[in-house]
Amino acid sequence: MVTLNPPGSPQQATRGRTRIQTTRGYRVFQVCNALILTAVVVVTLYPFVNIVAQSFSSESAITSGHVNVLPKGFNLTTYKKVMSDSAFWQNYRNTVVYTVVATGISMVLTTCYAYVLSKRHLKGRKVLIAIAMFTMFFNGGLIPNYVLVSDLGLRNTIWAIVLPNAVSVFNLLVMKAFFESMPAELEEAAAVDGLSTYGTLARVVLPLSKAVLATMVLFYAVSFWNSWFSAFLYMDRSDLFPVTVYLRNLIAGASGGTDQSAASDTALQIASNIQAVTIVLTVIPILTIYPFIQRYFVKGVMLGAVKG
Amino acid sequence: MNQISRRGFLGTTTAAAGLALAGCGGGSDGSKPAAKLTGNRTGAMDKYAVGDQFKATVPLSFSIMHLSNANYPYKADWTFWSELTKRTNVTLQPTVIPQSDYNQKRSVMVSAGNAPTLIPKTYHPDEEAYIAGGAILPVSDYLELMPNFQAKVAKWNLNGDLDQYRQSDGKFYVLPGLHEDVWKDYSLAIRTDILKQLNLDVPQTWDDLTTVLRAMKKAYPDRYPFSDRWSTPPQPGANNLLAVLGEAYGVWAGWNYQHANWNATTGKFEYTGATDQYKQVLQYLNTLVSEKLLDPESFTQSDDAARQKFADGKSFVISANAQELVNHYRKDIAKISGATVVKIPVPIGPIGAAKTGIRLENGLMISSKAKSGKDFVALMQFVDWLWYSDAGQMFAKWGIEGTTYTGSVDDGSFKLTPDVTWAGINPSGTKNLQVDFGFSNGVFAYGGSTKLLDSQFPPEELEFQKVMGARKTLPLPPAAPLSSDDREQATLWQTALKDYVNQQTLKFILGQRPLSEWNAYVSELKGKNSDQFISLVNKAYQDFKKNHG
Repeated sequence: MVTLNPPGSPQQATRGRTRIQTTRGYRVFQVCNALILTAVVVVTLYPFVNIVAQSFSSESAITSGHVNVLPKGFNLTTYKKVMSDSAFWQNYRNTVVYTVVATGISMVLTTCYAYVLSKRHLKGRKVLIAIAMFTMFFNGGLIPNYVLVSDLGLRNTIWAIVLPNAVSVFNLLVMKAFFESMPAELEEAAAVDGLSTYGTLARVVLPLSKAVLATMVLFYAVSFWNSWFSAFLYMDRSDLFPVTVYLRNLIAGASGGTDQSAASDTALQIASNIQAVTIVLTVIPILTIYPFIQRYFVKGVMLGAVKG
Repeated sequence: MNQISRRGFLGTTTAAAGLALAGCGGGSDGSKPAAKLTGNRTGAMDKYAVGDQFKATVPLSFSIMHLSNANYPYKADWTFWSELTKRTNVTLQPTVIPQSDYNQKRSVMVSAGNAPTLIPKTYHPDEEAYIAGGAILPVSDYLELMPNFQAKVAKWNLNGDLDQYRQSDGKFYVLPGLHEDVWKDYSLAIRTDILKQLNLDVPQTWDDLTTVLRAMKKAYPDRYPFSDRWSTPPQPGANNLLAVLGEAYGVWAGWNYQHANWNATTGKFEYTGATDQYKQVLQYLNTLVSEKLLDPESFTQSDDAARQKFADGKSFVISANAQELVNHYRKDIAKISGATVVKIPVPIGPIGAAKTGIRLENGLMISSKAKSGKDFVALMQFVDWLWYSDAGQMFAKWGIEGTTYTGSVDDGSFKLTPDVTWAGINPSGTKNLQVDFGFSNGVFAYGGSTKLLDSQFPPEELEFQKVMGARKTLPLPPAAPLSSDDREQATLWQTALKDYVNQQTLKFILGQRPLSEWNAYVSELKGKNSDQFISLVNKAYQDFKKNHG
């Protein structure tokens, strides 16, 4: 696989250092750089660490605003409450199923569409692109969509979540740009060796496209994982909700809190850090997967963009 | 957006035409729509009256939108469902919608023509959005089928309240929860240990409150004795203080703000923000601020900041409701030794020991498709029993006698059974009335007699309710429903007016604008169409009186 080293990549820097004596100015620059980047890291990391700390803190510490980086008054009430609820796990399982199925379908459809669009000799290519682009700017609107999905009989099935959002045009265009950047000679060689169109796609193009595929999987999976709206709209039974709908309702209930007379201590504790707990719980799976995909992610996005 | 409003317009026209026709029909044979329902009596009881247990003669099932409350999420195995079927022979089929986005899904389902038969948890005026499209039933046409509803309206004299829900066609489209009396919860909380220390009584009137605050200021000159909360925009800030104070002066203010204020002497509506009473409210607060009795930050600070001041003993008075008092204030001040706090009865102002407010609550819309159903009469009887009969209300709120409660609310012997817990009652109980049984569910349980309401309060709150209940309930302003076109115009004016009133209210209170400029302010309001708005309302009032009065 041919990889380019963009300017400023580690290899170049190392080579540079051996030849040129670092100047004073450069060292100052490096120090400033390090300081600024450290500040950026702190600024981006702090809110997250704070949320994690809050999720383990007691109600009084949170309402008086004493929680910073470390939990104060260690407390697991809310975790226990959320995790002991069978509906939570049922909905969590739904989320996993929806995400896996939806990502699978999306990847197949997007790859096929993008590959076709990347072939400049295809007749009607511009129309196909225009059709995709059209949906970026116009859509039927909420109620027509709802009526359509209802009339197709998709309500209360996984397909209502999976199918209407299967192809993201943005992802499609990134992928198309990536395929276009692939040397045509590779495919010609594959054809000469007797591979069909599908063979070329499956045995030559896709193995060379791991970077963009991984990126797309990540994009799709994260968006399906976080999505709640179509599930909320098309699902009429609580056993079909994804965990995002469950958590959204929990947060609304905790912050609404207008329900007659006195609430118990437990309810107060839950109200105070339910948001933090739910954020932590929903973000964990993405956080655990992210580091493994991230190296592709950086490469993939850049490759698509440079050539696009 | 364009598309929808065009459709809305078409809908309005069709509905208007339909209404005109319906009006003619009603006029010609002199009978009400309810009288013609001969083909819709499947399952209905022949003689259904007040005091009867409704039981469908054949098993029926109705679809219902069910708001799943986060604190007691929907469960299919609640005793509520099975017992309801046992008693009424009706099975409800819920479409479960999370509380967080209930209104949005309701909009989509109703607009798409896909709504379940029963659509509860609708707050007036939300139903107005659906009237033009014809998707919901003008329930007021079918009240003959609902003896309990009619009996309660007659007994508690609720016609004036119901008028507030009527549209310009004279009908109402939502069946609201009916209350025997106005229920007050919001007031002020005061540190009683400070009162005792300074030898002061609990203030009875707003003037008393000024005296008390002055005495507190004298004893603690370094702090503001009163620092308030509930200042979320877009209202001017200290929204509860303005609301309860406004009520004492007979004017809508704070989070109760309404643009049209009824003047019983002239028999006309006036623009609220330009009335003398509103000026007096501002004057009162301006005095508190200028004497440094009321923290100027009361109007801008966050609730947490206000709570913090109260918790640290930097202030002694703060707005409160029963829940805030018990859940927060008491706990907040626990670290100050000897500190005690109570919610005082709302201080009395120029209108005397009286209270105002509407005795209706959120309610139920019925899909207009239901009318053509064979079981329509049974549906209305069922709704009447569950939401409006004494037995139905008791069942929805407290459950089953012997299982979840014992005794009766009428003679005060009511008690939850010891193992059933709810909102602080029987804290050691193992089963939760809402979570495990499905009773006291906001979808089914609201409204009712004062005795039924009182049965849920702890003794302290009951005292407060007793004092407030003894005060006279003032009549509501007459109905002045705008037509949908007028409403659109009025909304435009209201938005600009409200911003301006809020902004100037704050300036007058904080002394940034002297009250001597009041007349200039009133003419500025006129520049923002307050006069045109009020004449629109007065015209709507006259029209309604003429056509439906």
